[in-house]
Amino acid sequence: MKLRILLADDHEIVRRGLCALLQKHEGWEVIGECSDGRDAVEKAKQLKPDVVILDIGMPNLNGLDATRQLMQHDQNFKVIVLTITDSDQVIREALDAGARGFVLKSDAARDLVSAVEALQHRRMFFTPRVNDLVLAGFLDKGRAISATEPPTLPTLTAREREITQLLAEGKSSKEVASLLNLSTKTVETHRSNIMRKLSFHSIRDLVVYAIKNNIIQIDMPVGAKNGSPAA
Amino acid sequence: MTIRILVVDDHPIVRQGLKTLLEGREGWEVVGEASDGMEAVEKASELQPDVMVLDVTMPRMNGLEACRAIRRSLPKLEILFVTQHDSPQMMREALDAGARGYVVKSNAARDLLEAVEAVSQHRVFTALNQRDRVSPLL
Repeated sequence: MKLRILLADDHEIVRRGLCALLQKHEGWEVIGECSDGRDAVEKAKQLKPDVVILDIGMPNLNGLDATRQLMQHDQNFKVIVLTITDSDQVIREALDAGARGFVLKSDAARDLVSAVEALQHRRMFFTPRVNDLVLAGFLDKGRAISATEPPTLPTLTAREREITQLLAEGKSSKEVASLLNLSTKTVETHRSNIMRKLSFHSIRDLVVYAIKNNIIQIDMPVGAKNGSPAA
Repeated sequence: MTIRILVVDDHPIVRQGLKTLLEGREGWEVVGEASDGMEAVEKASELQPDVMVLDVTMPRMNGLEACRAIRRSLPKLEILFVTQHDSPQMMREALDAGARGYVVKSNAARDLLEAVEAVSQHRVFTALNQRDRVSPLL
């Protein structure tokens, strides 16, 4: 029986590359492709793939929140996240969200097949840095990880994170409402709650928060290579 | 029409995506790959392709520097930038460096084949995200 894979990345050229890589492997089949996290969640629920590969930096719903939604729906989903950075914060969030594989995009050509194989055999796959961090956290009873935690801010609900991402991407309350099948009034209420919880007074503050907390990712200028294959 | 293409990007997965797309066109052949500007200059000289698909941001030597070097030594080779930089300033800089084409990576799947075809015929092809052609500036 074939291993059925769902693939989500907002760059079609990257999806083409990933598809070509995965389909070289006998017995694997890419059953669907998505360009944002929201579509990925819908397609995963509908197609029930054996493995879901999610880019973290996607529009509408990022890969971390998409992972959270999938795991909330069904703990049996096997998710690999693709990331441009293996910073402590991203690693911690990916693990907390329920990802069982963690692959740097710059190393995807080398590591992705091994990661899918690992998940296929009910194992996990992490970069050496993730392994080091997890081990350090275990040995140090969590202090190694918690020492790198960002300053504590009030926790947003899953819905508030979704709305934060959409607002930070520049969408209006009306557009957010339409995307999430909510009324504009409900979105406005969420928006006010988010701003109040975070003590923000402008959308600019919200954008900065979204970037700092990996809810959205931004492109880097020339010369400041960030490891993104889109660079 | 046969077109020999050199693909230059520091991310193997992007090179694979570009290659898959380009080799889907009959007669087009990806004759080589390079992962930075310096290697691009060397491979261009060695392989003498018709078209080079070139990233901007790369280690060791960026695409703009590579483009300038290649234009001096191989004036017939046409260069098409495929980059994340969706900016008229960067596009202007690329064209000033001697490129014939400029395509934004997020739209590469849509624009790449048309762009390679155009530059291989020594025509300018530029497209920003909003299909904001720069031709009037030329």
